[in-house]
Amino acid sequence: MVKNENSIKELEKLGKDTLTMINKKEQPYIELPVRSLSNIFFDEKSKTIKMGAKTSKRQFLNTAHTRKYTQTIAIASEIKKIIKEDATISIRDLYYALKHTLKGSKENLFEEQSESDPLIEDIEASLGLLREELNLAASTKGVIAGNLTIKDGKDVINLNKMGSGGWGVPSNVEPENIEIKDLDAEFVLFIEKDAVWKRFNEDQFWKKHKCIIITGKGQPARAERRLVQRFNKEFKLPVYALMDADPWGFYIYSVIKRGSISLSYSEEKLATPDTKYLGLTISDIDKFKIPENVFMKLNDEDNKRIKEMKNYPWFKNKAWQSELTLMKQRNCKLELEALSRKGIRFITEEYLPNKIKNKDFLP
Amino acid sequence: MIEDNSQILNNSDTMVEETNKLREHSIAEFFKKNRQMLGLYGKLRSLTTIIHEYVANSIDACEEAGILPEIEVKIVKLGEEHFEVHVIDNGPGIDEKNLGKALGKLLAGTKFHRLIQMRGQQGIGASGCILFSQMTTGKATKVVSGNNGKPIYMEIGINVEKNEPIVTSKKYLDKEFKGLAISSEFKEIDYQDSAQNALEYLKRTAIANPHVTIKFLDPFDKLYVFERAINEIPKKPIEIPRHIKCVDTDTLLTGAKNSDAKTVVGYMKDAYDRVGDKFFDDLQHELGKDIKIKDMSKRELDWSKAEKIVKAIQKTKTIAPRTDALIPISEDSLTASIKNILKPETLYPLTRKPTAYKGGYPFQVEVAISYGGESGRKMKDGSIKSEIMRFANRTPLLFDPGSCAITNAVNSIEWKRYHIKDFDNEPITVIVSLSSVHIPYTNAGKQAVADEQEIIDEIKLALMTAARAISNHISRKMKHGMKLERKKMFERYSYELAYSLEVLTGEKSKDILPKLEEIILKRLELEDEQDEEIKDEIKEKKEINKTKNELEEDIIDEEEQEDKPKKTKSKTLKEFIE
Repeated sequence: MVKNENSIKELEKLGKDTLTMINKKEQPYIELPVRSLSNIFFDEKSKTIKMGAKTSKRQFLNTAHTRKYTQTIAIASEIKKIIKEDATISIRDLYYALKHTLKGSKENLFEEQSESDPLIEDIEASLGLLREELNLAASTKGVIAGNLTIKDGKDVINLNKMGSGGWGVPSNVEPENIEIKDLDAEFVLFIEKDAVWKRFNEDQFWKKHKCIIITGKGQPARAERRLVQRFNKEFKLPVYALMDADPWGFYIYSVIKRGSISLSYSEEKLATPDTKYLGLTISDIDKFKIPENVFMKLNDEDNKRIKEMKNYPWFKNKAWQSELTLMKQRNCKLELEALSRKGIRFITEEYLPNKIKNKDFLP
Repeated sequence: MIEDNSQILNNSDTMVEETNKLREHSIAEFFKKNRQMLGLYGKLRSLTTIIHEYVANSIDACEEAGILPEIEVKIVKLGEEHFEVHVIDNGPGIDEKNLGKALGKLLAGTKFHRLIQMRGQQGIGASGCILFSQMTTGKATKVVSGNNGKPIYMEIGINVEKNEPIVTSKKYLDKEFKGLAISSEFKEIDYQDSAQNALEYLKRTAIANPHVTIKFLDPFDKLYVFERAINEIPKKPIEIPRHIKCVDTDTLLTGAKNSDAKTVVGYMKDAYDRVGDKFFDDLQHELGKDIKIKDMSKRELDWSKAEKIVKAIQKTKTIAPRTDALIPISEDSLTASIKNILKPETLYPLTRKPTAYKGGYPFQVEVAISYGGESGRKMKDGSIKSEIMRFANRTPLLFDPGSCAITNAVNSIEWKRYHIKDFDNEPITVIVSLSSVHIPYTNAGKQAVADEQEIIDEIKLALMTAARAISNHISRKMKHGMKLERKKMFERYSYELAYSLEVLTGEKSKDILPKLEEIILKRLELEDEQDEEIKDEIKEKKEINKTKNELEEDIIDEEEQEDKPKKTKSKTLKEFIE
């Protein structure tokens, strides 16, 4: 018996339902939950984003859907094959496995991986299965360091002896795969940027301040978010986010804390609602006398995002509204690296300890 | 036409003093020095004009005799800028007595100063060409005329000083011939591949005259045959008196003086149309107290009074002019000739109701839009450009397109609205034909119609209606093409879908495929039925006989739609996708 037998049943049911429509001489379609801002709500109980009940039909004979519909079913069939073979492949593997030319044309079933990735999420959402249950692995990029030991299969890894590069977070960090042991830390620091994470690792910040430092190198993958959620839930560690003071940084924080809109169907398993925003903020400018010449001006995209975020229910509190308003008013944004202007170790030795000591967070 | 010519003479600055002398001595002398008035200038233009003069004369002669015209044209190159032109018709010929005079004396025709819709209206045409031949080669023109009995041959030249024919080599021929054959030699002319050459002139003549067969042998020995598409000679135009609004000061003054009538009112009643008692009451009202028109004798009329009367006439309400002297080509005839010559994918002819410009000149507009097939002009590089064919009383206007009201009207149409995205580069021929007893030409070259607002409006309205019909065709064609594309696309993806379903369910893809094909065909058939319904709706809406106001309302509707193109567009697109 292969792993994820249940997933196979769900995929086969999708196939049978489709065949039933065809046998009735009706055009086949698949009903998919809408994965956009219009179909999410903020769940007060879990404090995360959740998916609403809106669905849309993806139809074979709708010119605008034909390609996507066929691709969706093709992905479902390929996943079934993979599970049968008891293999786990990356979403990039899946893209290549299905990339072939359509009969009688020069058109490929998939031209870009960006075409297949969202359809995988569609299947996850419509079948109610997670990526791991479909034997798929996202490419990983996040790194972590701190005073703890990890048991990954048969390997035991001490995360305080990982050198300058840290330990790469694997794609599946579920308790069955990853065991967390010997944890000696008081909080988790979720850092937006790899370069900043490296500075903190080089300064052995995690040793001095008894913490775990982790980065997703930009927008974090599910694995980093799931791992951080486990630190928070299983070990009750507070989580602090250290992001650029720009709309993109704020948005990454929002994803860590409340979840992402396109993955809203699984956010209960990924988001960490206890996360606090430590920095960087626009109000830090005056507090830490950051010189004006390191500011950057907002662009159109930034302004648009500020406007959107002001309307997110979880940003509808005084602190965030005034922070967003301030950013707009001063028309500036600030990168974490800008703090180097005040000295190379300013961020690790002055800025962060100061912030933590004074509990200077945004909710 | 004598009136018109005297005007030309009066207006010609250099000629003013000599006018009377010249008219007395020789009109031929005058035209010899002013041949551009006959259209005989420019090497290419001259040759086209010569063909026009001979061919128009032939067609007119055949029609008057009730014969279906059959015209043969041959241009032979004799040397550099040196050609011989032969035109042979199957008409009644000209009898021996009048033959020399008809061709060898300028202004000797029978057609001038009649208010009748005719091609030539010149009378100086053919004889002007004979004069031109003589001027450039020193040779006479050879003519054969046959009707009953032996055909007569003669060579005709012109005594320029006296404006008299010089007939030589007269003899009877011993063969059967019915019609008129004319052959002249010319220098200082040229034939080239051009949109304004004799071939184009003859092709267009055939389009506007589907009852005529034209055979043409060009200087490169290439034969073109435009067979007649209908066997019916157009009705003869009738002669009507001028509408009173067409009067001018000089004509009123001299006309009244020379007439048999005793009073000015009497003359006007004799010579003009739409002059009832009510008209004279209204005219008197306009004139006020100074001039008592009703009692005015001919002797009392002087220039200043005539001027005041003409001014008052322009302000007086009159009944619209009679339009029964207009003989349009007709939609059926246009359809026949365009199908015959342009072999279009689709075409839409439209004859508007007759109306008048300047209050007194009746005219009628006909248009046809021909799309696809051999429509448009094929360029040397193989590309196709759109073309505009202008006609005045069935005569093609080839020159001066830029200054012509017809061209301006065609270019003012927003073709994009009618699915014609790039008008200049589409396989499209726009035909505009103007019929009138008095075409308002911009100048004596008679190749461009003046900007009379009423005429421009009529052309635009006609074109908009025709363009809408063509637009429906093009959009259907586009839809059909898209439908084929969609079918192919659905089929491409069916293979993928069937294979994926085989993996998911175990059902063989070769069993799934025919079912998918069936679903696809069912869907496309359903769309076809819906299209048919739309087509029927369009047919019902055919608006040939709509009034100007109704059409204008339609146009406003279209403009409103234009203001919100996104809405309509997305709606149709949505309907299409659903």
